[in-house]
Amino acid sequence: MRIFQGVDIVEISKFKKVFLNNDSFVSDIFSEKEREYCLSKKDPYIHFAGRFAAKEASLKALGTGMSGTGIDRMFKEIEIIPGASGKPVLSFSGWAKKISGKKGINQFTVSISHSENHAVATVILTGRDTV
Amino acid sequence: MSHNLITEEKVFQELKKAIVETLRADENSIRPGTSLINDIGAESLDFLDINYRLEQAFGIKMARHFVLEHIEEMFGEGAAIDENGLLTEKAIELLKIRFGDNMPDLKPGMDMDEVPALVTAQSIVQGVMDILDSLPEKCPACGNSAWKSDDGGKVKCGSCGENAVYTNGDDLIKEWLTKVQEEKNIF
Ligand SMILES: [Zn+2]
Repeated sequence: MRIFQGVDIVEISKFKKVFLNNDSFVSDIFSEKEREYCLSKKDPYIHFAGRFAAKEASLKALGTGMSGTGIDRMFKEIEIIPGASGKPVLSFSGWAKKISGKKGINQFTVSISHSENHAVATVILTGRDTV
Repeated sequence: MSHNLITEEKVFQELKKAIVETLRADENSIRPGTSLINDIGAESLDFLDINYRLEQAFGIKMARHFVLEHIEEMFGEGAAIDENGLLTEKAIELLKIRFGDNMPDLKPGMDMDEVPALVTAQSIVQGVMDILDSLPEKCPACGNSAWKSDDGGKVKCGSCGENAVYTNGDDLIKEWLTKVQEEKNIF
């Protein structure tokens, strides 16, 4: 079995600034379900920031990094929505799914936590050996 | 011939402004060869912020999909990234043609996640210039060729007042890949 891990921390005040300064940020980065979920919360930014951290942690676990020279759509292709038990569930589509398929990844777990000004997330992906 | 009215120097100035505002970096420390990750500690949120600022400053739409993804879309699964997440030789060949001197450390067998650190100020400027260079000769709204630049980054039609329309970053990458493939037959 192969294990891929990623962790990320987001400063919520900084995240909120970027979020509010750029009109298309929310729809470029978050899926409709994610937006619906976060906006239903009392303080949506904490939840958006936590999800952003989880997306970034996923990119680290996937080993793709981000594209840098554009607005990376992979952020949106990595979706974190609450499962039946309320625990967040991670899923990939598009290019993110393609990369995870190449690496033989078949299990995805995510955990998110936050304090007043920081959101943190860890992602663990496991897959079969390719060799 | 390009009808672009915005100079590379102007794009570089605007990028420096965005970096200073986003990262509180010292303007004088930003040079064309500066790596945003290695030299000024940019993280993904900073890249997003910087790229959005450039989109707003010039009225452009940058790519949403990475060039490697476009390569696989056009030339098939495995064309750009192998099963270990490493860049194929052909992908490196293409990236070298695209970024050349602006990303001197590209090497076959690199991991995908080593690429972002290669992104320099100049490679971002190049990406913006490519989009600006797509300005057509004539205004699509009125058919006149009378583009005029305000003193900032926006271009308008001097005849009907419409904003300049540029090809978006993703379509440009696709056009470019098609052209390179025709010329060099890499895949
Ligand atoms: Zn016109």
